[in-house]
Amino acid sequence: MTNWLGRLLTPRPGAGPTSAASAHALKHWSDLPPAAIDAAHFETRYIVLNTEASGLDIDKDKLLAVAAVAVDRGVLNPHDSYYGALAPAPDATLAELLLFSGKHPLVVFNAAFNRSVIERALEEHLGVTVASLWIDLYFLLPALFPQHQDRPARLAAWMESFGIDTFQRHHALGDAWAIAQLLLAAQAKASARGAHSPQALADIERSYRQQRSRL
Amino acid sequence: MIANAADLLVGASTDFLRRFAPFKDMEADALAFLAQHAVLAFHARGDNILTPEMGAPRHFYIVQRGKIQARQTGSTTTTEYTSLNLGQGECFPIGAISAQRPSTNAYVAIEDSFCLQISTEEFMRLMQMSPVFHLFCTQYIAGLLNQSRRQLQTNFSQRAAEQHTMTTQLGQLIKREPVCVSADTPTRAALEQMKLQQVGCLVVVDQEGRPVGVLTQSDLLPRVILADFDLLRPIGELMTANPHQLASTASAYDAMLEMAARGVRHILVVDAEGLLRGVVSERDLFSLQRVSLRQIRAGIDNAADLSALQRASTDIRQLALKLIAQGIGAEQLTQFISALNDALTRRIIQLALETHDLSGVDFGWMAFGSEGRHEQTLSTDQDNGIIWRCPEWEKPAAIRSRLIEFAKDVNASLAACGFPLCKGNIMASNPALCLTLDEWKSRFGAWIREPHPEALLNASIYFDFRVMYGNERLGDQLRAWLNKTVRGNSAFLRMMAANALKVAPPLGRLRDFVVEDGGSIDLKKSGARLFVDVARILALRTGVDSSSTAQRLRQASTKMGVSADEVAAIVDGFHFVQLLRLRSQRLDTEHGAPGDNHVNPDSLNELDRNILKEAFRQARKLQTRLKLDYQL
Repeated sequence: MTNWLGRLLTPRPGAGPTSAASAHALKHWSDLPPAAIDAAHFETRYIVLNTEASGLDIDKDKLLAVAAVAVDRGVLNPHDSYYGALAPAPDATLAELLLFSGKHPLVVFNAAFNRSVIERALEEHLGVTVASLWIDLYFLLPALFPQHQDRPARLAAWMESFGIDTFQRHHALGDAWAIAQLLLAAQAKASARGAHSPQALADIERSYRQQRSRL
Repeated sequence: MIANAADLLVGASTDFLRRFAPFKDMEADALAFLAQHAVLAFHARGDNILTPEMGAPRHFYIVQRGKIQARQTGSTTTTEYTSLNLGQGECFPIGAISAQRPSTNAYVAIEDSFCLQISTEEFMRLMQMSPVFHLFCTQYIAGLLNQSRRQLQTNFSQRAAEQHTMTTQLGQLIKREPVCVSADTPTRAALEQMKLQQVGCLVVVDQEGRPVGVLTQSDLLPRVILADFDLLRPIGELMTANPHQLASTASAYDAMLEMAARGVRHILVVDAEGLLRGVVSERDLFSLQRVSLRQIRAGIDNAADLSALQRASTDIRQLALKLIAQGIGAEQLTQFISALNDALTRRIIQLALETHDLSGVDFGWMAFGSEGRHEQTLSTDQDNGIIWRCPEWEKPAAIRSRLIEFAKDVNASLAACGFPLCKGNIMASNPALCLTLDEWKSRFGAWIREPHPEALLNASIYFDFRVMYGNERLGDQLRAWLNKTVRGNSAFLRMMAANALKVAPPLGRLRDFVVEDGGSIDLKKSGARLFVDVARILALRTGVDSSSTAQRLRQASTKMGVSADEVAAIVDGFHFVQLLRLRSQRLDTEHGAPGDNHVNPDSLNELDRNILKEAFRQARKLQTRLKLDYQL
């Protein structure tokens, strides 16, 4: 914490917020206490994050837009959402995203891409690292619903399994809306298996990944 | 930026809702409100979304995806459906959330389902802001009412089916195998058969079984005993040859005509081959229910004496049963009963006038109370009076005593026709109720000036008067005077209102209903009266001339600017209570007990209980309105 605060106070070019508003938002965010990760789903606020990038190559492609949808106490509220393009002020957008997300558990579909690009952008533009719990539905869903997909599958396949559609595919917010609905289903299924908390979701996801890597 | 994301997602909800009724027809601002506030939740297969045990629902749900099953709960699940599946775009619960009471259905996800939901407060707000949505919900609740009516229909159709009408085919009326012998049977043996089989009619048939003759009990005296007929001779010599026959497809009416035309009491029924099927007697036909409105009406109008009217009065009850079986609404039903009872009363009056000379006396026969309101049920005491005008040259006392003598006869005849004498002596033969127009005015006027409890009670009976025979204009004049007088006296109306509010709808806080000691609800005192009393006050206040509760509510509401939907819901509630009253009376009557207006809510099925609750809620709404209006 002191590390990035120090950087905040002495901004390096290309790393750290450039506007006062962003700096203020960031300060506010950093002061937030960490969220509980052992509370039940119906008491927990999850943040579904999603991105739009110029392509799928994590090394070459650029992050264009970010979207966040809250799944708060088991309910998806359209008003509880965020969408922003990185241009022209990426630091402002990312600071808003952080402010929206707080330190709640973060949920993505395909962390290998989405988590990576978000973390990289946060590091690059704000110089921060988030310490939140990350949950990747890409692995969690097949662990919970083997009858639908017996291995990690594309988002489109999962949406089809659950009959989920969204107003705009491949749009950061449109897909986030679909992913959030998948999270609702995952919460219900996990609860039925006795996994009531974000930590428990993360545990299921981890053991599924470990199991797969042993195959 | 945040607004941008929300707008996109709200827009998506709006697009979804636009695909389904009633949302697609909703006003733009109401749809926007719904989409703005709807949140999405998931219900895994097998999850209970809403059950009666959860209490008053906190959310209104719209199925976004998946399948929800509404299951009837409770032991008396006899309604039309025991479960109903709700799919995309359908919503629930409507009745429970409108009335803020626990749902009677259990709503269970039978597939993994997503539902949009809004809070109860938002639902109420939506009802307020959207006439379309409001109508949708009212119609849904009205649909429940129809279902209950259909339910009532099935309950009674069984019994109705057992009743035959004059159009019944004779084949269906044959009760037993015919007793028949051949023409060469010795008469003694044939008569022994008649005795043994206990029949009044013996049929003589040929070898194929075609009837060739008939012998009835009434033939025995002239042909056997008085004629000293030799019982050893064959029956063929004694019988009436070429007996009257009808095909088994002929109607009971045909048989009735045939009997009347030929003066016989038995008709032989044969099949298409001319073979004997059976015998239909006059008594078989009499036992048919002669219950058509027109027939009863004609029977009443042509009745020559009291006994004919008594038969007609029995027919009226049977007609009521039939009409309930046909699923007729309470309003029409009570109107029919009222119309027939009116006809009956008029005929009784006409018959009484044959022995009481009242020519030249200007009078009107008045009905009070439920009869005055056209809301008679099947067990109504008589409440009547006379209004008359004394010509200047006559002595009032002489006319009054003539009217009272006449009224005594009418009251007695009415009692003989099933309208018990009024225990409170509210009858035209009571000199205090055989008054001139001016006397009625001063009587009514005294109650209005000094509204002590008894005066208010009187007002609640007598102010529902109508003239059902004689000079109706006398009644009109009294009504016009009454409306004018009461309207100028808001203190009286306020007292009436306070009086009307003394009885509250029997809705419980903890349980559904507040019941009396025996576990029942008095549908008259704690049901119908709640509507009747308020309607009377509204009618007096707005100067409505009608004495019927439904008409009073409708007409007064128009003047008071209450929406038609709202009134319709109230009137429906009133009629449902009336229907239950009629039903309980009917069932009671069949068990031989007097109709007592009591119903045990536990004996009602789930749906009827719900609608009864809804009806009481409508009564409460009426009362609340009255409370506000008079600051009580």
